[in-house]
Amino acid sequence: MEKVLLDYDWTVMAPEIIIAAAAALLSLADLFLRENTDRRFFSWFSLAAVIAAIFFTVSRFGQQPYEILGDTYRVDDFALAFKTAVLSGVGLVFLLSAWGVRQEEIRFRGEYDYLLLAAALGAMIMTSSADLITLFVGLELLSISSYILAGIHRERYASNEAAWKYVVQGGVASAFILYGMSFVYGLTGSTNLYTIQQRLVEAYQTGYDAFVLLSLFLMLLGFGFKIASAPFHMWVPDVYQGAPTPVTSFLAVVSKTAAFALVLRIVLVGYIFLYQMQIWQQVVEPVLLVLAGLSMVIGNTAALHQTDTKRLLAYSSVAHAGYLLVPLSTLGAVLFESTFYYLIAYLVMTMGAFTVAALLEREAGHGNISGFAGLSRRSPGTAAAMTVFLLSLAGIPVTAGFFGKFYILMNALSTQHFWIAGIMVGTTVISYYYYFGIIRQMYFRPPASKDRMRVPMVPALLLVIGILGTVGLGVVPEWAVHWIGDLQWMSALTPLNAGPPGP
Amino acid sequence: MPVTSYLALGAILFSIGLYGVLTKRNAVIVLFSIELMLNAANLNLVAFSKFGLHPSQVGQVFSLFSITVAAAEAAIGIAILFALYRNRGTVEADRMNSLKG
Repeated sequence: MEKVLLDYDWTVMAPEIIIAAAAALLSLADLFLRENTDRRFFSWFSLAAVIAAIFFTVSRFGQQPYEILGDTYRVDDFALAFKTAVLSGVGLVFLLSAWGVRQEEIRFRGEYDYLLLAAALGAMIMTSSADLITLFVGLELLSISSYILAGIHRERYASNEAAWKYVVQGGVASAFILYGMSFVYGLTGSTNLYTIQQRLVEAYQTGYDAFVLLSLFLMLLGFGFKIASAPFHMWVPDVYQGAPTPVTSFLAVVSKTAAFALVLRIVLVGYIFLYQMQIWQQVVEPVLLVLAGLSMVIGNTAALHQTDTKRLLAYSSVAHAGYLLVPLSTLGAVLFESTFYYLIAYLVMTMGAFTVAALLEREAGHGNISGFAGLSRRSPGTAAAMTVFLLSLAGIPVTAGFFGKFYILMNALSTQHFWIAGIMVGTTVISYYYYFGIIRQMYFRPPASKDRMRVPMVPALLLVIGILGTVGLGVVPEWAVHWIGDLQWMSALTPLNAGPPGP
Repeated sequence: MPVTSYLALGAILFSIGLYGVLTKRNAVIVLFSIELMLNAANLNLVAFSKFGLHPSQVGQVFSLFSITVAAAEAAIGIAILFALYRNRGTVEADRMNSLKG
């Protein structure tokens, strides 16, 4: 029987519908409100929408995968897990911006909030699409909203320049991804990922092997940009430094998580047959490992001589992209689990670090690392929190970052990739130098002024969430690991109904 | 094989676009070059929907989506360029060098 519109279970799309409706509502409200009306409540409204979306996403766990919208949209455990991470990240960004930039600088500008919601919607589409067209549209929705967000301070030149560099390099990356996708379509005649899965094998075996690899590498070139890995990282430091701090934290946390969801989905669903044919080990894996190694080395060494906090965190983000690429290239038994665990660990510790950076930027009026000088005397709590985040970013034991790295390292060792594990450990040791440089500023340098620093309620709440997450995931990692291990990750790789492929 | 000529044209357009992005100093030309790259991909999609291994209409649909997305991207690029021009009074890309470390 032909299914009509209302035969489908639309509740699976509740999170997306909530976010889209909230964004539409806010953009309308922005039109009707008087020009000088305070629009700060937009942030709280958006935060409520995000929390509702998280609730509906989490309540969907444990149910069978479901496909909707002509099988282009797929709700499985993979999508739900990444969507929860993305939405939590967006929620924290809203908290940070509700207090930060929204306070005075762009108090009367409503577009900030609904652009952030649109970007979140794009990220959600990226996590649960099963079709090249929807994946591309989701990716562009996220990217284009991020370009505007990076330049949201129209009157500030640094913000303009960051947005410009982002839009040009992002446009090139999108062109590479689209060009790669066009070859995938040409070889398979379909944009459905599971049809592609079947037909790419045939294409590979009937003499089009060069084109299959060409399509994969063209897309990987663009993906390398989106996940901020070297050698496609040129935009990262400039954009992170020039964009407003909450937007920077959004780019670091949400964009990266969504991009990894997209990469895992396309590469593993479409090209997993290369692994069975031993081509992956010979061709794809060395390339990905070199990218990972380069990201770690370049990210960690370039961070050594940075004097701007956000620029330093940008290079650290490049290095973390390198660590995260290792499971994808080696494809061990805990590929999904270790990637996802590292992404949530990265989320909590990076959000915490950016909160402190935003606090100090406002306090000192500049983003230089010298703003951290003597923080332990001006605000011991903030200094202690920052120390925890930095220890976690550096990967010191009993923090989330340590266990995340340990997990990835175990996966690399169990698949016999010793040299990349060596680079990982080596560059981690190098990273101690610049992370501890900030700690040295906070505890052993005299403060610029003697008066105590007041920490308002909202950033204090963010710091508490950050510490609970970082220490919690580090002290009792088995809770998170059990929860992640119970998810049906592999269901993302197999088609829902193993019938004949669609047209 | 008829598809080869279309693919060659697409590849040439894509390369010209990439060359333009990497070398041109004028910001407007850089945006044009990105459009060239995206349109090379569109050309591929349309050619494949007729001459691909499994010809189908999906390629035409995909190219419509990507044309829309490319238009949005160009609009955003121009808007950001406007903001830059107001603050600095130039569209030369190599004068945009305030962010470094």
